[in-house]
Amino acid sequence: MTRKLTLTLAALALVLAAGVATAGAGQEQRTSDPGVTATSILLGGTSPLSGSASAYASVARGADAYLKYANAKGGVAGRKITYKYLDDAYNPAQTVQATRQLVEQDGVFAVFNALGTEHNIAIRDYLKAQGVPQIFAASGATTFGRDVDAYPGLIGFQPSYQAEGWVYGKYLSRTGVGSRVAVLFQNDDYGKDLLAGLKRGLQRSKVKVVAAQPYEVTASDVQSQVAKLKSSGADVFAVFATPKFAIQAYVFANKLGWKPRLTINNAVSSASNIMLLASEGGTNKVVNGSVSVVFLKDPTDPKWKNDPTMKLYRQVMKKYAPGANVNDVYHVYGMAVAWTTVEVLKKVGKNLTRNALVAALGTMSMGRNPFLLPGIAIKTGPSDHFPIEQMLLQRWDKGAWKSFGGIWGYRAT
Amino acid sequence: MSARLRRTAVPVVAFALLAAFMLVLPAFVNDFRAQQFAYVAIYLVAITGLNVLSGYTGQISLGHGAFMAIGGYTTAILMTDYGVKDVWTIPAAALVAGAAGVLFGIPATRLSGLYLALATFAIAVATPPVIKRFEGFTGGGSGINLFGTEELTASLTPVEILGFELNFNNWLYYLCATVSLVLYVVAWLFLRGRTGRALRAVRDSETAAVSFGVSLTRYKTLAFGVSAAYAGVAGSLFAIATTFVNPDTFPISLSIFLLVGVVVAGLGSLAGLVAGAIFIQFLPLWAQEVSKSPGAPAVVYGAILIAVMFLLPYGVAGLIARLLRPRRGSTGI
Repeated sequence: MTRKLTLTLAALALVLAAGVATAGAGQEQRTSDPGVTATSILLGGTSPLSGSASAYASVARGADAYLKYANAKGGVAGRKITYKYLDDAYNPAQTVQATRQLVEQDGVFAVFNALGTEHNIAIRDYLKAQGVPQIFAASGATTFGRDVDAYPGLIGFQPSYQAEGWVYGKYLSRTGVGSRVAVLFQNDDYGKDLLAGLKRGLQRSKVKVVAAQPYEVTASDVQSQVAKLKSSGADVFAVFATPKFAIQAYVFANKLGWKPRLTINNAVSSASNIMLLASEGGTNKVVNGSVSVVFLKDPTDPKWKNDPTMKLYRQVMKKYAPGANVNDVYHVYGMAVAWTTVEVLKKVGKNLTRNALVAALGTMSMGRNPFLLPGIAIKTGPSDHFPIEQMLLQRWDKGAWKSFGGIWGYRAT
Repeated sequence: MSARLRRTAVPVVAFALLAAFMLVLPAFVNDFRAQQFAYVAIYLVAITGLNVLSGYTGQISLGHGAFMAIGGYTTAILMTDYGVKDVWTIPAAALVAGAAGVLFGIPATRLSGLYLALATFAIAVATPPVIKRFEGFTGGGSGINLFGTEELTASLTPVEILGFELNFNNWLYYLCATVSLVLYVVAWLFLRGRTGRALRAVRDSETAAVSFGVSLTRYKTLAFGVSAAYAGVAGSLFAIATTFVNPDTFPISLSIFLLVGVVVAGLGSLAGLVAGAIFIQFLPLWAQEVSKSPGAPAVVYGAILIAVMFLLPYGVAGLIARLLRPRRGSTGI
């Protein structure tokens, strides 16, 4: 027994020594940036494929479909783009792990289209230290466009939540539809940015925010919040909530017999399929006349029925994302991002490095992105990492969105 | 070989093998895998602690993610606000979470079964909003970033330990592996003597335990405290490894995954815990490899979980016990 044990331990010691000796080896020097070869570019990012926010997975699927289409058309400067997206279940801890996998194991050229505010915040210091660009973060949090000096390789895409809130505020103060606003908001950066923007837009006007009720993203429903908001006597109801809670807000307001003169629903939850659910088969009158902002072409809008881009959109979806819901506007968002990425990569051309990419992202000026509404430009500068700063207002009328008025622009600070 | 020697020798040899395997593992896998195994070690700590409570004392907890959150936030706040080096925050996290566990354990001794499960579930549900409430202290929803701070060892420049230069991933791995192995031994020592017997007595029959002079309040509270301290250490390591904490990094699902890990490992045994930890870390990743269509990963995960419970009703520990059971004729005396 003792002999056997000694032998076993000796063998173990040998294995250990061998293991530790080899542990130090490895780590060869690279000459060019990872993720790029003469024929390929590897992009990666996280997406909530599962969990409470899995509706947003369409953003990644739409982008993926468009990039596959672009590859089939020859790619960019002879390179095919691979977009590897991993599930993070909308949990920042998993975003960190999956992003490390993308950077350290898969060697991505850039982190692309990662979704979520806290999720992009969780990885930005790490990516900065690794020198990996974090491009087109799918969140409207103001920090992603504003803090260029601290995070030069980071850039967002959609209009900032602050800008969106500001547009609602200005609209209310100019039109005077109502004078007392009650706000339901998600208790995180996204909801607070919208609320802050709204208050900024209402400055120096007679319209006031008379009540604001937060809810937690982990909550089961928002009934008590809606009841409190109703009792505030407000005549405008602003819903700054993610889809599930936005639908509940409409349904509970209807149930409680609240008839605000105007309801505002932020762009995050205003996709037509969500509005249709909230309208309870047309019986919910609170939904009628709702106002929201829009910057993408809505696939359900009859106006775009014969639009060549939206025709292409449907073809690309059919071919590269079969079975997905074509009416889901988040797919259009994904394609708009992918289209912009292809354009930027084209501009950088053959000598693709991370530095060249970041430089090109800071000097974008694209008059027309065919997936965005006409007139909305993509423009950035050295200290301005807000690609889209313009949007239109739209109104929900007889089961469809109709845009109205001119283009609104606002620079978040 | 006498039965007594066998009872000690088998675990010691098995543990030595495990320790040796964990020591050399980074040599055979890449950096990134090493980091994933660091998370396995972290889950090992958490479910070792949870097993003390649920497996040995029979008290179900659906709220251990909350104790992990307490540990994680203790570490993050000490590092960023007080400039404490990461490794020194680990014992502090154990103390704070352990104290919280004892405090929660006192009222919890009056609850049993489903009611206790609900009460512990309530703390898991309440934790994220409570963290957000004290924004000035906890950073609110945006959380606290640790990456690139001076207090975080090896995050920017490699660290030298015993003449070996370790990069961040390997450092994390060795830190978590060492802590988990030490705490594993501590749990083993804690459970094999008088205290362990008392805890098992509480689990098997409270009435019998009391009639033998075992204080229910004392032992249940003790089990809560110890297991929460373990969860605190796990949370602290989790914060260090993730380099970031925010309320959503400790979701309700984490508490449930921990319980799943313990059940897969085998309640009331330390033998299968490594398998349980591997299950928690890798199964969601494998499930994702199978299919990415909407809802598919969750279905795959559930199906595998059900299959495991059918095939191994007593968990991996049950399987190990079955394999090691002395064959007929060799009684081992």
